[in-house]
Amino acid sequence: MDGTFHRLRVAATRAETERATSLVFEVPEGLRETFRWKAGQHVTLRFHLGGEEVRRPYSVSDKPEGGRLRVTVKRYRGGLVSNHVNDRVAAGDVVEVMPPFGGFHLDPDPRARRTYYFFGAGSGITPLFAMIGSVLASEPYSAARLAYGNVDAGSVIFLEDLARMEEGSDGRLRVRHVLSSASRASSPAPWRRGRIDAECVADFINEHPPYAQDTRYYVCGPGGMNTAVRRALLDIDVPDTRIRMEGYGPVEPPDDSVAGVAAEATVRLGGATLTVPVAAGQTVLAATRAADETPPYSCESGVCGACRARLRRGRIHLRARMALTDADISRGAILTCQAIPITPRVTVEYD
Amino acid sequence: MPILPVEAYTSREWFDREQERIFSRTWACAGLAEDVAEPGQHVSVQAGLNNIFVVMGRDRRLRAFHNICRHRGTQLLRAVGKTQRAIVCPYHDWTYDLEGRLISVPDRERQFPGVDLDCVSLKKASVDLWRGMLWVHPDENAGSIMDWFGEVEPHLGPHEVDELAEYPKGRTEHTIKANWKIVVENYIDGYHLAHLHSGTLGMYDHSRIESGFVGPHFAFWEPLAPDYAENVEKNSPYPLVIPAEHAGAWVPMLFPGIGLAETESTWSLFHVNPISPDRTRVVIRTRVATASSWAFARQAARSRRFWTRRVSGKFEGHGDDPMASGDFMAEDIYACEQQQRSLRSPYFEHGPSSVGEAGVREHQELVRRWVEG
Ligand SMILES: Cc1cc2nc3c(=O)[nH]c(=O)nc-3n(C[C@H](O)[C@H](O)[C@H](O)COP(=O)(O)OP(=O)(O)OC[C@H]3O[C@@H](n4cnc5c(N)ncnc54)[C@H](O)[C@@H]3O)c2cc1C
Ligand code: FES
Ligand code: FES
Ligand SMILES: [Fe+2]
Repeated sequence: MDGTFHRLRVAATRAETERATSLVFEVPEGLRETFRWKAGQHVTLRFHLGGEEVRRPYSVSDKPEGGRLRVTVKRYRGGLVSNHVNDRVAAGDVVEVMPPFGGFHLDPDPRARRTYYFFGAGSGITPLFAMIGSVLASEPYSAARLAYGNVDAGSVIFLEDLARMEEGSDGRLRVRHVLSSASRASSPAPWRRGRIDAECVADFINEHPPYAQDTRYYVCGPGGMNTAVRRALLDIDVPDTRIRMEGYGPVEPPDDSVAGVAAEATVRLGGATLTVPVAAGQTVLAATRAADETPPYSCESGVCGACRARLRRGRIHLRARMALTDADISRGAILTCQAIPITPRVTVEYD
Repeated sequence: MPILPVEAYTSREWFDREQERIFSRTWACAGLAEDVAEPGQHVSVQAGLNNIFVVMGRDRRLRAFHNICRHRGTQLLRAVGKTQRAIVCPYHDWTYDLEGRLISVPDRERQFPGVDLDCVSLKKASVDLWRGMLWVHPDENAGSIMDWFGEVEPHLGPHEVDELAEYPKGRTEHTIKANWKIVVENYIDGYHLAHLHSGTLGMYDHSRIESGFVGPHFAFWEPLAPDYAENVEKNSPYPLVIPAEHAGAWVPMLFPGIGLAETESTWSLFHVNPISPDRTRVVIRTRVATASSWAFARQAARSRRFWTRRVSGKFEGHGDDPMASGDFMAEDIYACEQQQRSLRSPYFEHGPSSVGEAGVREHQELVRRWVEG
């Protein structure tokens, strides 16, 4: 992947809800190819806040077909970057953006005839919104069904956009809102109260049985929801190969059961080979950065896969591994932001 | 020059070749969507040389498999029924899950020592729902059904087929003593409508037919006759299934042998199944508007006068004479069977073919290409 940052101007901002803002970036002609995205992929934003460099991944929230490079950032209580974006970033500002990447994407095929089930909650709608737009634009024979969880009607990102898309879709898109706050009256009334749990998933599919039999399931929400939806789908015999998920944060606390040893890491990065010392318990990524190198990374929590590399020699312990499948790991893939050497010599090669 | 020789309609060789090269290699209709409407329900269908079953999983997705046990090939599921989460072969109780994986073999350690059975799976077929019908294709990688129907779809009626309901009495089966191609050719022959059916199909305007092949499928449309169109809301025999301003009849013949009749008041499937060189079974299933029985009774009463004046047999005669029946299906069957019988006469010779029979010639050409290809 291309780990370089580009300075992009914010063309416009839009308040989506009281707690979420979209940034639309202006992509100069010469960078169009570099910033071409697949529906569902994310970019990484870099800021220098309080004297520190911080990076966060954000999904592109618009479809690639004629859409603009846009991210939609929801405030996290006490969150550093998300509040900075909501409070401070304005049209005309310049933000450092790393080109789109990520394995959670939907590649439309104009001949395909599929039923897509989307399960999203909160800011997890962002990649799904791009995917839905892409299906409607590029797969005329396919249908999309979205179950979308939020606290209340006021916190639903893209509420009106989705309503408009559903209306104009000739039945191809159905949006079903699931609201967890019992108290507030909302209009329109949600499809259901509560959370997107196993019962909700089963009811959703029973009420919206596949229109086309080639089904796909895309899930993006807080860690707990992803796990619950996945389990609910497997429970009604959906093959795992049809399910795609992305989490925005670690589901489980990092596995710190292995201490790690001080090691010497040989790192192959962008054609160069360097040797960096790794302190006991330090990650390969942190050690490489400490040596003033610029390896790719984004979330630093094992979720996004930006820091992915291949282990060529030695052994490491992965504290978290959300971004990797078992198959990836058996082929030697590691996440350098989570990799702690457990042998004194390791060799790591970035993709 | 006739395109197909007489043997194409009479010989076992031609029949077998069509089964192998046409009916075993195309999307086959396995019934209506409601035939498999609940998890565990299944149907099986013979499509050429393949017997394929369709079963719904608890995720409400349809799966299709070749109906052949991977042990010694016994047929796994009978025509229709309900199964639980597994499919058990009646012969030695090998058991498969709804993904087709072999999950249990009785007495496995003793009977199959050292034999790897972990990767044994049923052979998958393709399945989809389209226009309210179940479709299967023997090839697991057949691709999108829209590669096959996408082009013809815009030439079909504006009906929301999924919103119509099957009319159980409209389900009929006819065994016709004729080759399947004669039945299809009759279906797509625009020339006979005003003649054979002069007393039975006069509610459509045969002078304004628009028809022709779109890929392998024959598209056909004709408007209502002016006096019927004028007051179709009152004179339609059943509640309308499409808006009055779109009223007309779309009567395509999808390849091979899947006819539809999508009219202002009904939607029908006319499924042509070859049985032998001179036997064909036609299964007809009909959907009508989702309306109360009261609405149907009222519509029948309102339109009765129009239809008693409008429909009559071609010939005067008694009720058991198809040509006096006032039933266009009986008229068609009569014509098909008479043709098939004449093919055996040593004096039979093809006569000239009309403009209105262009579709018949093209269908023959199409069959020839598939059988030779
Ligand atoms: C692939 C991917 C795509 C993403 N796409 C989007 C998107 O489209 N839109 C979006 O809004 N987000 C998205 N995210 C999440 C986003 O990257 C950030 O994680 C999010 O914005 C929070 O960052 P922050 O700097 O505001 O919070 P941080 O400062 O990193 O804090 C994160 C969380 O930790 C809590 N926290 C912070 N400090 C402490 C502390 N000292 N003690 C205890 N808790 C603490 C905060 O309350 C917050 O809940 C995505 C994440 C991934 C991995
Ligand atoms: S930086 Fe995101 S997984 Fe390592
Ligand atoms: S043939 Fe099916 S179990 Fe033996
Ligand atoms: Fe006829």
